[in-house]
Amino acid sequence: MDFRLGEKAAEVQREIRAFLKENFSEEDRKEAAEDGGGHNWDLYRKLAAEGWVSAGWPKGYGGGDRDPYENLTLYWELCKAGFPWIGLLNNGFIGHTLLAMGTDYHREHFVPKIAAGEIAFALGYSEPGSGSDVASARVTATPDGDEWLINGEKMWTTTAHTAQYVFMLTRTSTQDRPHRGLTMFLVPTDAEGVEVTPIHTMGGERSNGVSLSNVRIPDVNRVGEVDRGWSVVRFALGLEQAMGYADLQERFIQNAGKWSLETGPDGERPFDDPRIKEQLGQTAIHAEVSRLLRHRSTWITAEGKDLGGKGAMTKSFSGTSYLDDAQSWMDLVGPAGLLKEDEDGALADGNFDEAFRQTPVNTIYGGTVEILRSLVAEVELGLPKSR
Amino acid sequence: MDLSLDESQQILVDTFSEMLEKECPTTHVRECEDTGLSTSLWAQYCELGANVMGLPEAAGGLEMSLLELGLVATQSGQALAPVPFLEVATVGRLLAAIAPEDPLLGAIAEGQISASIALPRPNAVGGTRTTAGGRTLVPFGTVTDAVIALDGDTLYVAEGGDARRSGSLKNIGDFAIAHWDLDRSSNARVLATGDAATKAMARANAEWKMLAGFWLTGIAQRALAIGSDYARERIQFGVPIGGFQAIAHPLAECAIRVDGGELLCWEAAWADTEDSERFEMLSSMAFTWGAQTAIRTADIALHTHGGYGFSTEYDIQLFYRQARALSSIGGGAKEELQTVAELCFDRDGSGQAESLLGGC
Repeated sequence: MDFRLGEKAAEVQREIRAFLKENFSEEDRKEAAEDGGGHNWDLYRKLAAEGWVSAGWPKGYGGGDRDPYENLTLYWELCKAGFPWIGLLNNGFIGHTLLAMGTDYHREHFVPKIAAGEIAFALGYSEPGSGSDVASARVTATPDGDEWLINGEKMWTTTAHTAQYVFMLTRTSTQDRPHRGLTMFLVPTDAEGVEVTPIHTMGGERSNGVSLSNVRIPDVNRVGEVDRGWSVVRFALGLEQAMGYADLQERFIQNAGKWSLETGPDGERPFDDPRIKEQLGQTAIHAEVSRLLRHRSTWITAEGKDLGGKGAMTKSFSGTSYLDDAQSWMDLVGPAGLLKEDEDGALADGNFDEAFRQTPVNTIYGGTVEILRSLVAEVELGLPKSR
Repeated sequence: MDLSLDESQQILVDTFSEMLEKECPTTHVRECEDTGLSTSLWAQYCELGANVMGLPEAAGGLEMSLLELGLVATQSGQALAPVPFLEVATVGRLLAAIAPEDPLLGAIAEGQISASIALPRPNAVGGTRTTAGGRTLVPFGTVTDAVIALDGDTLYVAEGGDARRSGSLKNIGDFAIAHWDLDRSSNARVLATGDAATKAMARANAEWKMLAGFWLTGIAQRALAIGSDYARERIQFGVPIGGFQAIAHPLAECAIRVDGGELLCWEAAWADTEDSERFEMLSSMAFTWGAQTAIRTADIALHTHGGYGFSTEYDIQLFYRQARALSSIGGGAKEELQTVAELCFDRDGSGQAESLLGGC
């Protein structure tokens, strides 16, 4: 038994912390939070230049061949620091997918540019009305000679406004069951007929809607076989579910702990109140359990074994416990908890406000907690299908 | 990273699992409800070396790690074994560390339940720190003849149990608990004073809490299995009730928490030798989370049974009661949460210590 991520992961931690110290100032962090888009080209190119976009790809394709523990550490450190890392996560994944499932053309035309940080992709799975039923996608791709015509609406296409392409799930057939008529395409965001409009969230994120009107795409931009796109999506969702938010939970509890040990304006330390201690203890345990579940997912992946329902466990627990804690803290700390970062009198650098606004979505996107619990019930407990 | 048991650890689990399946079905647990102790089962434990597992060779022990003791505790929890494994393991290791020549230790090696422990409760709610008459409720206090306790910075053995203990007390878990008068003006033997005393008790407390976390995790695992089995078999409205999300999702949530609890216990035990700075905090977490999870899981599994779960005929109520009882013996989760916070953020009382969050 060994709970360490290992020396290579520790080295990544040192490197990323050094990178952040060098390149990511407190001002940058605030700017990223204000922007909410999850991607910053200047910072992204610097990471790409050091090989971090392609870190998880196989060496034969010019990747860094980093193991799952190193990748975990990379994302953990960036996320915890408030770095706009969504672009990095998506492109690391898409590059890897193109290497595994794409054509020679994709490997030659797109992959090197992704690795170099020259181009970026947004993920285009969700649509207005699709909700938890991702396979219900209605954006159509219709063959037209050597090309395809794409029509419809995508939603929650985060980073589409800064990306050159959307990795898009489309409907190519309605003949079979819904998930057997889906195909993936690489859709340029500057193509005629593509319109990107912002969606702003309570959590401060900026996402997008993407409308597609007779967008003409060459067949070489198709990824995988026609009508076989579902496996790509499932893989991507599985990856997301196995992560959760333990990094953010750790940041949150560290901020709460630090705040509680400082003497308040009334001359007392919050830490000395048993109610605060109780909540600190509970939040610390939640953060630790979330971290352990995520590490277990990573370990299972590194061992090349099937995650079963354990990826779903990771995200379900992390999402719900972080939300519970954010709400409990807000209820404990009184009106000053409402104040945003940098406002006069804000508590814990505004982290209570931020967590309260940001955590509700963690039990929704990337698989709602209801979808995840059904998966756990079926796969881990052997209960009948419940939907 | 390696989150699996090695071969010898798996053999240990299988050995106890098989023994308990044979020797401690729930019918046996029910037979022991009056006394809270199965002497025949404890004899089986001793035959497998459970009384000396965690002791050094010099004390006749098997020098097993806390993880291995924990694995036995989890199997014991799954079976609701009415044996003093937690107390004997904790007291034995405490004595081996600071008083290796103590006769109580020799008696433990011979299979006697020679001493129990009065767990310190620094964060107890006012008015509950002691029981009536300044006494303390002691686990297996009905059968032991000595109790190890801390008074200020004096660690001592209160001996002469007949004059100190109350009669057996009816209680939720059918546990062998008794009030003990721990007055040390007579029949008390000092084991250590000062730093050595407080450190030894802090260590023993952490070990008991960690092992209780393993035990509670075992209770939760078996309660979850009973609840899930019932949800698969019970037909209502023409289908198994496990197919209803209102039944399936709470059980799934418990499964997640139970898995997290097991990992937390394993991490605490592993930290004993590999990340020792975090050992006490992780042990406190393991107990707290084990208590919260066992109580919640037994509750959900009982509820899954509908009215049957409430009847004494069904086993799930045993788990519901014992999860609560073992948690309360350790002071309960709310009390322990405060200790978690202290150990995590302010372990030296300076308010300046680096938090112990995040591992290596």
